[in-house]
This record gives sequence, C-alpha cells and structure tokens, in this order.
Amino acid sequence: MLEPKSKSHIRLPWNSLGLVAVLIVLILFFGLMSEYFFSAVTFRTLVNQIPALTVIAVGMTFVLLIAGIDLSVGSVMALCAAVMGVLIIDQQTSIAIALISALLVGLACGAANGFVSAKWRIPSFVVTLGMLEIARGGAYLVTNSETKYLGESVGFIGSPIAGLGISAALIAAILVVVIAQWVLSKTLFGRYMIAIGTNEEAVRLSGVNPLFWKVLVFALAGLLAGLGGIFQLGYLQSADPNAGIGLELAAIAAVVIGGTSLSGGRGSVVNSFLGVLIIAVMQAGLAQLGVSEPSKRIITGLVIIVAVLFDQFREPLGRLFQKKRAA
Amino acid sequence: MPRIRFDRNLILGLLLTAVLSACSSEKDMENESSTSKSQPARVALVMKSLANEYFINMMEGAKAHQLENAEKYELIVNGTKNESDLAQQVSLVEQMMAAQVDILVLAPVSSKGMLPVVKRAIDQGIVVVNIDNRFDQDVLQQMGMSVPFVGPADREGAKLVGLEVAKYLNAGDEVAIIGGLPGAYNAQQRQAGFEDAMTESSLNIISIQSADWESAKSATVAAAILSENPNLKALLCSNDSMALGAVAAVRQAGRTGDVLVVGFDNLSAANNLVQSGELLATIDQHGDELAVYGIEYALQILHSGVIPENIITPVDLIVAK
Amino acid sequence: MLLQIKNLNKSFAVPVLKNLNFELQKGEVHALLGSNGAGKSTLCNIISGIYTADSGSFEYCGQPYTPSSLQAAETLGICMVMQELNLFPTLSVAENLYFRSMSDRFGIVQHQAIQQRAIKALQTVGLNYIDPAQPLSQLGVGQQQLIEIASVLQRNIKLLILDEPTSALTGPQIDLLFEQIIQLKKQGIGVIYISHRMDEMSRIADRVSILRDGELVATEATTDISTDRMVQLMAGDESTSIDKKESISQPCVQSDSTLLKVENFSRRTKNQSGGDSGFEDISFNLRAGEVLGIGGLIGSGRTELLRAIFGADQAHAGYIRLASDEFKVQRIMKSPTEAISHGIGMLVEDRKSQGLLLSHSVSKNISFAILDRLTSKLGLVDQSTEQDLAMSMKKKLGIQYNSSQQPISSLSGGNQQKALLARWLAIEFSILLLDEPSRGVDARAKSQIQTLIRELAAMGKAIIVVSSETQELLKVSDRIAVMSNGRLAGIFNADELSEEKLLEASFCFYSSEGNQLETTNART
Repeated sequence: MLEPKSKSHIRLPWNSLGLVAVLIVLILFFGLMSEYFFSAVTFRTLVNQIPALTVIAVGMTFVLLIAGIDLSVGSVMALCAAVMGVLIIDQQTSIAIALISALLVGLACGAANGFVSAKWRIPSFVVTLGMLEIARGGAYLVTNSETKYLGESVGFIGSPIAGLGISAALIAAILVVVIAQWVLSKTLFGRYMIAIGTNEEAVRLSGVNPLFWKVLVFALAGLLAGLGGIFQLGYLQSADPNAGIGLELAAIAAVVIGGTSLSGGRGSVVNSFLGVLIIAVMQAGLAQLGVSEPSKRIITGLVIIVAVLFDQFREPLGRLFQKKRAA
Repeated sequence: MPRIRFDRNLILGLLLTAVLSACSSEKDMENESSTSKSQPARVALVMKSLANEYFINMMEGAKAHQLENAEKYELIVNGTKNESDLAQQVSLVEQMMAAQVDILVLAPVSSKGMLPVVKRAIDQGIVVVNIDNRFDQDVLQQMGMSVPFVGPADREGAKLVGLEVAKYLNAGDEVAIIGGLPGAYNAQQRQAGFEDAMTESSLNIISIQSADWESAKSATVAAAILSENPNLKALLCSNDSMALGAVAAVRQAGRTGDVLVVGFDNLSAANNLVQSGELLATIDQHGDELAVYGIEYALQILHSGVIPENIITPVDLIVAK
Repeated sequence: MLLQIKNLNKSFAVPVLKNLNFELQKGEVHALLGSNGAGKSTLCNIISGIYTADSGSFEYCGQPYTPSSLQAAETLGICMVMQELNLFPTLSVAENLYFRSMSDRFGIVQHQAIQQRAIKALQTVGLNYIDPAQPLSQLGVGQQQLIEIASVLQRNIKLLILDEPTSALTGPQIDLLFEQIIQLKKQGIGVIYISHRMDEMSRIADRVSILRDGELVATEATTDISTDRMVQLMAGDESTSIDKKESISQPCVQSDSTLLKVENFSRRTKNQSGGDSGFEDISFNLRAGEVLGIGGLIGSGRTELLRAIFGADQAHAGYIRLASDEFKVQRIMKSPTEAISHGIGMLVEDRKSQGLLLSHSVSKNISFAILDRLTSKLGLVDQSTEQDLAMSMKKKLGIQYNSSQQPISSLSGGNQQKALLARWLAIEFSILLLDEPSRGVDARAKSQIQTLIRELAAMGKAIIVVSSETQELLKVSDRIAVMSNGRLAGIFNADELSEEKLLEASFCFYSSEGNQLETTNART
C-alpha cells in the first residue's frame, strides 16, 4: 500500500539527528579545549563507564512512557549490588547464583513499586520515594555499611575485553537498548505502554487492564536497576552501599534529554541512550579540563535545559529541515 | 514504515558507540610517544567532595604551589559531588588516565573500592601517591602493590584531641564518638585514636555512631545521642563538618558547656567556634599543604625513581587562644 | 429595557443559535426553557462573555454592548451562577464568599473583616446558622449552591443569570431563594432563569422564552401559557408527524431472542459538584436485532447506566443476566475487560478523554481492543494485519483519512467517531452500547452512523443508543426507554412515541411534586 508520508513520521529520525548533533558539538568542543580529549582511550573509557546508567535509563524510559516516575532506581541498584557482593564474599556462593539473586531483588523492588502505586492509585512519585529510602537502608543493612571489595572475581563484567576495548557490560547494555527499542516499537507490550501513557481511561474502557501492564513496567525498571547494580559491581569490583546516590536524577535527565515526555505517551529508548552519551561526554570532558565543581554543576544543568529546549522546538526545526530538503 | 524509523534510530546509536569506542587505535600510540621528558609533568589531583572546605583548602594550596612551579608541572584538579561517590571518583581517575597524566595524587573516597582503578593507573605507568585517606593495606598486599602514602598522623591527632577532652573530665565520665564514613581508613584511624585516649584516661565510651562525614547527618545523630544520654560529657567527632553539626545539636538541647565537642581538620568555621569556646579543640592537619606534599613527593619519585616510602605529615592541636 | 438582543447567530461547526431575538426588562424574571441542545446555555454564555457571538446586536442599559470576557461582563454588572459550582472546598465559607477581595493590598488575608461581612451575606440566603470560618466542604450541596448565589449577590449586579439553581435545593431552600429573587426584582435587577422544573415557571418567572434547535419559538407571559403548551412548543408542532423511517430500513430480524436482561439495576453516587447522580431500579430486556434508544435529559442517569452495564463503573444493586448464561447467572460487570469477554462493547460519550489515543495513528486506534489477538507468542504485533484491518474498516465505514499512520487527532470528529466504532466492530460482540454516537459530528457522518446502527441491528446485534437528540432516537430506535432524574419513566415503541410525549416523560420525575407520568409501557 502506497501512502504519503505523514508528519509524525519524519519527526523521530530528525529528533535523533538533533541529539547526535548536540553530541558531536560537545565532542568537538572538548576536543578543541583539551588536546588529550580526542583520543580512542577517552572514548573507550567513557563508554565503559555508562552500562549501569544506560540500562537504568532504559527502565526509566518505560516508566516515564506510562506517565510514572521511578525515584528508587539508584538505591535499588545499590541494594542489588550489595546483595551480590555479600553473597560472593560472605556467603561464598557461586557468581551465577549471586547474579540471579541480585536480579530477583531488583525485580521484587520494582514489582512492589508498581503494585502499590497501580493497585491503590498512589502516585508513583511517592511510592518510589519510599522505596528509595527502603532500598538504601537495605543496602546498608546487608553490607553492614561497609564497602565490600570483590577484586578480580567479578572483573570480567566491567573490564574491557582484550582486543575489543569494550566491556561485556557495555555489550550487554547495548543489547538491552536494542531489545527495549524493539519491544517498544514492535510488540503488544510497547503499544500498551504508549497507550497507557496517552490515555489510561481509554485503555481501560477498551478492555485492557492497565494494572498488569503498569506493574510489569515498574518490575522491569527494578530488574534493569538490578542489572545496573551488577554492571556497577563489575566496574568498581566492589559493592558500595553508597553507590548510585542521585543516580535517579541522572537517569531522568538522560531520558528527558532524549525527548521522552514526563507526562507520558511519547518516548524512545535509543534517544534515551543518546541522552546517556551526552551526559557521559559532558562529564568526561569537564573532568579532563579540570573544571571546578561549581562550574561543572552549572554547565551540566544548562546543557540539560538547552537539550530539552531543543526538543521543544524540534517540530518547527524539523519542518524547516524538510523545506530545505524539498527546495 | 515503522521498520525504517526503528532501524535508522538504532543505526545512529550504534554508529555513535562504534565511533566513540574505536575511533582510531593508532592515536594512542602517537600520544604515548609524544610525551617527551622536556615538557612539564602532568599532575592530576583527585579529591573527595569539593563541597567540603577542607578539600577546597587542599585544592587552593595545590593551585598556589603550581603557579610558583609552573615550569615543573601542569595541574588538573577534580573532586566528587559528595564524600561517598565511589563510582564518580573511579570514572574521574579513568578520565585522568585517558588524559595521559604522569602523576595521580589521590584522596580516595574508599580505602578498598578505589584500588582496582589505581592498579590500572599504575600498570599504565602513572606515578600514584595516596594522600589524606590511606588505602587498605591488606587488599594492597593482596594485589601485590605498594602505593606511597602522604598523610597526617590521623590516629595520633585523634589521640591528641581526645587527651585534651580528658583534661576537663573525670574518670568514668560518659563520652560518645561520631565517626566518619564506615570503611574509610582515616575514619577508622581517627576512631582508634579517640579510643586510645579514652582508654588511657579511663573515660567511658557509651556510643559510637557514623555520620558519613556530613554536618546535617551529624546533627541528627548527635541530637539522638544527647537525648538518650543525659549524663553525656563529651562528643568526639572525626571531622569538623560533623563537629559543626554536633555543636548545633548541643546548642539545640541547651547543653552548651555541659557537653564538650571536639573535631578534626581546623576548618575556618570550626576555628571560630574554638575561639568562642563552643568547640573545645580541633586538629590542624595542614590540609592545604597535604596535596602539595603529595605532589612534591610524586615529582621526586617521577624524576628519581626512588623506592616509595610513606610520609607522615605533622598535626597540631588547636585550642582557644 | 435592561438587555435587548437582535438577530443573534452563533455556530460551532453547526449553527447553534439562529437569528435569535431576546429581551429582558429591569426587574423581570425571564425563564428560558428548552430541551438539551436547544441553545439555552450557549445564549447565557454569550451574554456573560464566555463565548462571542458570530453576529447580532446587543443593547445593555441603553448602550451598545459587546461582551468580550467574563470579567468584562462582570464589571458591567452581569453575573452568572453556573450549574457546576465554582467553589473551593478546602477554603472557608468566608474565603469562598470573598475570594477576590479577601486580602489587603499587601496580600494578607483579612480573616476578621471577611468573616464579619460573611455573616451578613449568609443571612441573605438564610444560612445564618453557618459559621463563616468552617470549611466549605462541610456544607451540603444545596448549601454550597446558596453560598455561590450569596457570593454573586455581594457584587454590584444588574443582570443575574441562574442556570438550574434549584436542582440541588430542598423545598424550604427553594422558598428562600425565590424570596431573594423577589428582592432582586424590587431592586430592578433582571434575572434570566433556566430550569427544567415546569412548576417553577409560573411561581417565579414573569415571562418564559422557549427555545428549540437554536431558535426562539415563543416568548409568553407565564400567566398566559399552560405547561402542556410549553412542552408542545419545546417539542415543535411538526414533531407529531415525523417521517421516522426516512432512509433507514426497518429491522428485518424480528426474532424474540432476548440477549440481555437488566434487573433492578441501581447506582447512586455524588457527582463532582456534590449532587446526586446515577440511576435507580432500572429493569428492561434487550433483544437481538433490536435498537433500544435511551432518551432523557443530560444528567438523568443514561450514561451512568451504560457504564455500569459495561463495567466501567460497578453497579451498587441489581444485576444483569445474559443469554450466554441462559439467564441463570446474576452478574455485575466488574471491569470493561469482563464485559468485553461476554460480548459487550461500548462507545463512550466523551471520545477525546475516554476513547481516543489522540497522538496515535488511525490504525493503532482501530486495532487497540483486539491488539492481543494480532500478537504473536513472542509479543510481536502483526502490523500488516493491523493495516489490513484499518483498510477494511476504512472501506466499510467510509472513514476518510490520507494515511493510516496519520495521528487520529488530525481527523474530523465524524471520522474519529467512525474509527472508534471500527474498534468495536473489530471485536466479536453481540451487544453494543453507544453513548451519544453522533455527538459533534457533521450531518453526513451522522446519517452514516445512524445507517450503520440499523445495519448492525439487521445483522442480529442488540444495540442500545443513548442520545440527547430526539430526532435521532426516533429515527434509529425500535423502542425508546426514557429516563428522568435517574429513574425509568417508561419504555415506548418508537412508532407510537411523539417528540412531545418523550419530552413530557423526560421531565416527569423532576417536578418538585414528583407526580409520576402515566406511561404506556411497551411489551417488556
């Protein structure tokens, strides 16, 4: 069937292009400012730092899509890593069992978030704020407030694979991005997520029970926070009960930079990933320049706002782009 | 149609990752050879929270020193957002490695957690000097590394300030300790120093709690200790930020004068309180010079290749004039 | 002469007010009467500045008047008390009364002063026993309605519009309100009074204007007109002889197979403004191949009834029985999912807020309710089947759009409605509930939808249609159930029912005496 292209269609690739443009501008900027920035090592280091934030941003994208929010991801990540660390160090369990346990803990936290907020119609902001404290307390409890040092036993997760330069965690994280984007654009689950974020009442009146799907989304966000915890553990080779403080805000920032609407119904996993890259490039560049802490904060804040402003005006820009191409 | 959109997005993302991770493998070779000995050394100073005055002083001291010695070295200073962000400090060290520094002077957030990345830095040929908070010696040995430590005599300093408290108390009086981030070496050392002094003076430690180096947490913890222990005579805090919180809690409880408070670091605010009498004493570990000691020592190692040895910097007791 | 309107026209896609002439004297109470959609509210909204007229001339207090906004109208002394209360439940009574003048110039609320003033204001509406400091939410709906009126009376008004002020009031409260209105009349204030209660017309109004389809059909002194005549005028003279079967074929399935029995169904809740809404003790049968229309005024419980059958809200009492259970099981649907699994579908009243996924494409909207069936075991949506479905529905229903990927928000109301209908046609259903199926759609789409309803019935489906348009009900229905104030006023055979009779039934449970209409119940 041959159909003329509609407006909504051109919008998304252009939006990704916009984010890529922002990213390139940032890289060029830092490349000009620091002679050491523009090197393979810098970028290899940078991408090996992002697996945890990437998978957590994927979960956050889904949660924001259904017009929810999950503030507990940072704490849940720390809890999952703590559980895994304690199991390996103190309980001497195999790494496989520790890995599965960490994922299950994340899943359980997420499912609890989803069930409480969807079943009793409590705003997810409040429920996950509670979980933020609960999971952090849990992390202190299981580790006895100490950083558990694991050493090389978990190094295979986060250390660069020889000859490839990137870590197993990064490959897994990119796989998660690919699968999540596929789920979002191709599957029933993806369709229901967008629909719930657009008009939950219409979904209910169409005979689809939003409760199940909402719980599933939060459970998935928890599971991905658990996976993020595993990546973090592999990266740091230790389980830090203080890990991921404020990570939820970094994840939300990445997702919002990626153009996902805070009011639900619109979003893209790949764009969230680009958002993560933008934040990572910015942090790496500012660190290499040795910019002072106050300036770092101010610049990071400004870039978030500018990126979102850019997103606000992407439709007019997109149209302009179209016209030029047509001319 | 949706197929195209999906793929295009995905390709963009993947392409970018590919570009970022593997852009030009020849380039690092070039860079390595281009670092010639005639150029000034590149020094990275990575610290803890730059929201803490103690580290600000340290940074200012280092910057002033660098200006005087601009022909000897370049300086890049970074710090974490808060006192406990291990992941951020690891990534900062990694960025410094990527930035091809020659020297890394590190005040680690965690005595154990920072070791894997430090090992990689050493393997890359970077001279690493540990300042402020000492690495865990057991793990260090496990990993077969030795990293020179330049830092204050935490335990001795804590004992010094503890003995100052004891002067004003009688044997058997109740005291409490508010400790730093659990797991941090200097937190453990200072706590041990307090305990040494208390044992020596036969004072009774009734409570040891952590406030993660932070002022607000300390105020909460101190308030709780005060309300539960009406006979408490002193609060020993492992740093000045926490001492400020404890002083506020004592003031709130109306027990100024009855409960003595001591700190560690000699922050300017703490110094003012010492002069006004609300804080009994603190320890000046010369934080502003600490980083400078570390940098000078590292430059020495870089040029001469001497066998690293630990340097313990002096500490001074600060009391009202 | 206080207000004079000449040749007023207003249209929202379709004309709503046509060449309307209206006048209001000083000190006169002028009632407006008409069925749903006759144009009463539009007229009042224009006078009070909420809408602007397309054309027409206004004269107010002898001056030309062009109401530009609510605020502009208020400064000229024109105030409207709306049906939906504009109050703040968590603020105190006094703060509500003086919401716009409660603080001094520094922004400090003057509690003492406004409470003093409030005591006087409360006396004017007979609420002297109320403490002005108590939160408004502690008051009953009737009392809240009086507070709203009291708040308006505090202002310097010359023209007051009251939209169904008595709907939530008790007998003594109504007496008090009428005393107040008489006071206003003495001060020379003109009052426009909207109500569904016929008996109030002769009690309080001097004149009554009757609107029908946006036209003012008569203005009479209340002393000169009987209630019967008013109903007749509202219905229209020609209504007795509607050629109801115009283009629509008669039902060809005249089977006697009942599909649904509704028995003593009830649901009573407080609505947003606190008044009663819902329905009580509704019983009827629905047969295959039949269209059952439900008429009555807006707010008479029609929508609530449909939603309860569908499980969108749960009924509180009574139950339904289904042919699929051989009528042996008493059911109350707990969710739309459950209703759909029993072959019941529903087209909702407000398509924007409850039906459409506005930013989604047309095809995604059509396929939504059967999406799980278009999905493989892996969870993959079969997009080509989805496209085919959209195409076949496009042909079947004549939905007009350029691309099935076009967001549905870019379609006209009629096409949106057809797409929503298509969502239900894609499902295997035996009973379809349609709430205002042709609201907000153009004339051509409307007749297409009506034809479709008849066709579905001819295929043996059982259909319930709620409509505020009498013509539409008479046109598509085999039988018509009329609801009035939450109760069933009667079920009539469509060919035996006149528009006049329908209106009479719609009003029968509203009159304060509550005299029940004698109804000719059709074969139930």
